[in-house]
Amino acid sequence: MRTEQQDRAASAVELRRVSKSFGPVVAVQEFDLAIRRGEVLTLLGPSGCGKTTILNMIAGFEVPSSGEIRIDGKPVTAVPPYLRDTGMVFQSYALFPHMDVFENVAFGLKMRRLAKGAVAAEVARALEMVKLTGLEGRRVRQLSGGQQQRVALARAIVIRPKVLLLDEPLSALDKNLRAEMQIELKELHAKTGLTTVFVTHDQGEALSLSDRIVVMNRGEIQQVSAPIELYRHPANGFVASFVGEINRLPPARCTLTGGDAVFELAPGLSLAVPRRPELAVWDGRRVNLFVRPEQMAIADASSPGQACVKVRVVTHVYQGTHTLLRVDGGALGLLQLRIPGSEVIERAPVGSEIEVTLDLAQAVVLAD
Amino acid sequence: MSPIFAARLRAALFWGPVGLILLYMTIPALVVVMTSFSPSELLEFPPAGLSLRWYARALSYPDFRNGFANGLIVTTFASTAALAVGSAFAYLVDRYSFRGRAALEAVLSSPLIVPHFTTGFGFLLLGAELGLTRSYAIVIAAHVLLVLPFVVRSVYVSLKNIDPRLERAAANLGASPGRVLARVTLPLLLPGMAGGWLIAAILSLTEFTASLYVTEARTQTLPVAMYGYIREYSDPTIAAISALLIIATTLLMLLANRYLGLRRILAIDAH
Amino acid sequence: MRQRPFFLAFLLPALLAAGLFLAALALVLQYSFRSFIPGSLDPGAFTLENFARLWRPIYLWVLLDTFTISLLTTVFTLLLSYPVAYALVRARRDWVRTLLVVLALTPLFTGEIVRTYAWILVLGSDGFVNSLLEGLGVIAAPLAMLYTRFGVVVALVQFSMPVMIVLLATAISHVDNDCERAAANLGARPATVFWRVTLPLTMPGIVSGVIVIFAWTMSAFSTPQLIGGGKVLMISNLVYLQGLSSFNFPFAAALSLVALVLAVGSLALLQPAAKRLEAKVSPR
Repeated sequence: MRTEQQDRAASAVELRRVSKSFGPVVAVQEFDLAIRRGEVLTLLGPSGCGKTTILNMIAGFEVPSSGEIRIDGKPVTAVPPYLRDTGMVFQSYALFPHMDVFENVAFGLKMRRLAKGAVAAEVARALEMVKLTGLEGRRVRQLSGGQQQRVALARAIVIRPKVLLLDEPLSALDKNLRAEMQIELKELHAKTGLTTVFVTHDQGEALSLSDRIVVMNRGEIQQVSAPIELYRHPANGFVASFVGEINRLPPARCTLTGGDAVFELAPGLSLAVPRRPELAVWDGRRVNLFVRPEQMAIADASSPGQACVKVRVVTHVYQGTHTLLRVDGGALGLLQLRIPGSEVIERAPVGSEIEVTLDLAQAVVLAD
Repeated sequence: MSPIFAARLRAALFWGPVGLILLYMTIPALVVVMTSFSPSELLEFPPAGLSLRWYARALSYPDFRNGFANGLIVTTFASTAALAVGSAFAYLVDRYSFRGRAALEAVLSSPLIVPHFTTGFGFLLLGAELGLTRSYAIVIAAHVLLVLPFVVRSVYVSLKNIDPRLERAAANLGASPGRVLARVTLPLLLPGMAGGWLIAAILSLTEFTASLYVTEARTQTLPVAMYGYIREYSDPTIAAISALLIIATTLLMLLANRYLGLRRILAIDAH
Repeated sequence: MRQRPFFLAFLLPALLAAGLFLAALALVLQYSFRSFIPGSLDPGAFTLENFARLWRPIYLWVLLDTFTISLLTTVFTLLLSYPVAYALVRARRDWVRTLLVVLALTPLFTGEIVRTYAWILVLGSDGFVNSLLEGLGVIAAPLAMLYTRFGVVVALVQFSMPVMIVLLATAISHVDNDCERAAANLGARPATVFWRVTLPLTMPGIVSGVIVIFAWTMSAFSTPQLIGGGKVLMISNLVYLQGLSSFNFPFAAALSLVALVLAVGSLALLQPAAKRLEAKVSPR
């Protein structure tokens, strides 16, 4: 009993078996999630997976078809948006075009009937946080995309919301600006400590910004984990292939021998790895092996004992710091390797036969 | 007050007045239809019974029959001519910049602002000047000018919605300007042109004020004939013919909404 | 030189149409400066008499009446159209929106004679409203509504609403729904969202609607002619009386010129304000 109450107090937002359908379309199904106070939680998934619907239900723009939502332990399912104290940053920013920067940021404070002096002070503080001091009098359309983004952030944090809701806030920015804003968002979170729910379909953004990531697909939770855990130990094939690049090997039969686990991928093609305790459950079962591009390398003298396969080079994709190598692995299908630098382009020209190693000790093993 | 109750109250306070306003907009049409079935010569409410006698009279009254026939002639020629002139002009406005374009645009859209009686009176004088007073030509000319802005607007909006890359693609594949126009642009414009023609035809068919000036006994259109009748008689014949027009228009609106998407044409769908 | 396929072929018809229209207006202008020869349709010598005559009180009163009726009509049209336009855009159910669009727009296309005649039936002393009120025992004797300014305005408002509704609905549909959500998210109640966000953002639509309806009502003819029945005169009715009853073409020309100037003038005066407002609330 006591622990449950502690849990509840620790949760800034809680969704209990929340479902939402639009007519026959089920957007969110039986969603259970507790968002901890002060954390940055990311809802990650392809478009249409229901992540924005979750955000809209927390903000109160959508009413769940069933289930309950609590903010600070209090049920808010029937509370209208204007009484919820959530601060939302919209994908389109939704800045008020008929107001200047100051008026936009001050709007929420005025709704809370703060005294004029307090409004000015709070607005100044928020604008300083997003580094926009001095632009108070600017019209919204005189601002660059990045500046609009900051105004939207300032407007949301100035009311000291119980939870900050970010709906793909970086998607409208170009690539360089996006990287810069990611860093600023991190700094802003360090300064404010606001509980933050971040919605994105960009796994890079999710990995770099979040304390925890909720991977969603078709309205259901696939996995809730910290970024590193998610990358290393995806719970299923969807998560494995949605988060980061990964090679899915053809289904294999796993057999445990004395010191090894042997995966038989095709008749005459078996890969062996040193036996680990967690592989025990797979003995005699059909499994899928997932190998990340950086877990593969071109075989040389320094890699004895690793699983090794013969492949033919199909394409190079030069990407500056590294080169992606696409190879035909015969029974293994097409594989992608990530090789640092660019020497590989000359070392292994298109059409050449090479040997590559697979670091199966790090590979993800999932049931077929 | 619970938020749900507040929301219900708000909805009631909004939809109640909206309903009353719509009633105000619709009542005249309902009263006309009601009156048109009245058996009595006097206007009375509620009507004492049901009768079709005013429909029989309306449909056989020579002025109305002539007026309707004249209207069809004028409308057919005027809205078709306006479609040709207007589409060509919309194309020019969309594709080319040339000296005097703004002025020409202003002149051709000004019939929207210039009072219809001024336009009508002007064409009456013009007809006299050109010796066309008793001809359809001057009526048609006036109508072309009056409906032209609507056609131009409708076609212009459609032109704007055509992806310019489609025409470039056709040209890139070897189509001459004439073939691009005939095989790519025109087919894509057809809905806009059809919409423009329809609006033009309805407006021309029901136009009254300018027509009052430019028509005379032989060329008068239906609205002018109806106006004459209202001044002479007070029986419900007009109600019968009005009811026919109202029902026809309502059906037309329903069809237009079904097949053309009225809200889309008017650009009033929320996004 | 740039290629301009079809340029001349497409330009000539437009030029011809513009030429006809300008010629018609030029004739009105020319007639307005000519003297009236009673019994003849041909005008006499150059004169300013037609414009001097406009300053007589009887004509100034008509001008003032035209102005007042137009103003009242515009105000009531705006007040009644906004809720309908809002409902039209925001109704959740598709069939409600369809019903609204058909009900709101049908009057636009039935033509002015049908609509005006309908109001005679509604407002007449034996008409619908009086019969209803007498039947309910609210009034003992019929109210005089036909042949009054009140009746003219009631009919003109209904007449103007479809156009106003379309203009307002377009403006409302262009309001970014996220802006309203943002306001609610920041703590604004629905009424506050409307006054602080929705209404200011639809101001350009309101202004252009007001301009169009005002200019339009100034030149209304059949409604004051039939509902006013000669007791309520607007400038259009004077033109008709002078032109088609007395055949005083020169004076009718002067009057229609004044009407044109008033309509174009009110537009020219208000349009820049509308443009500024548009620029102010446009997001880009």
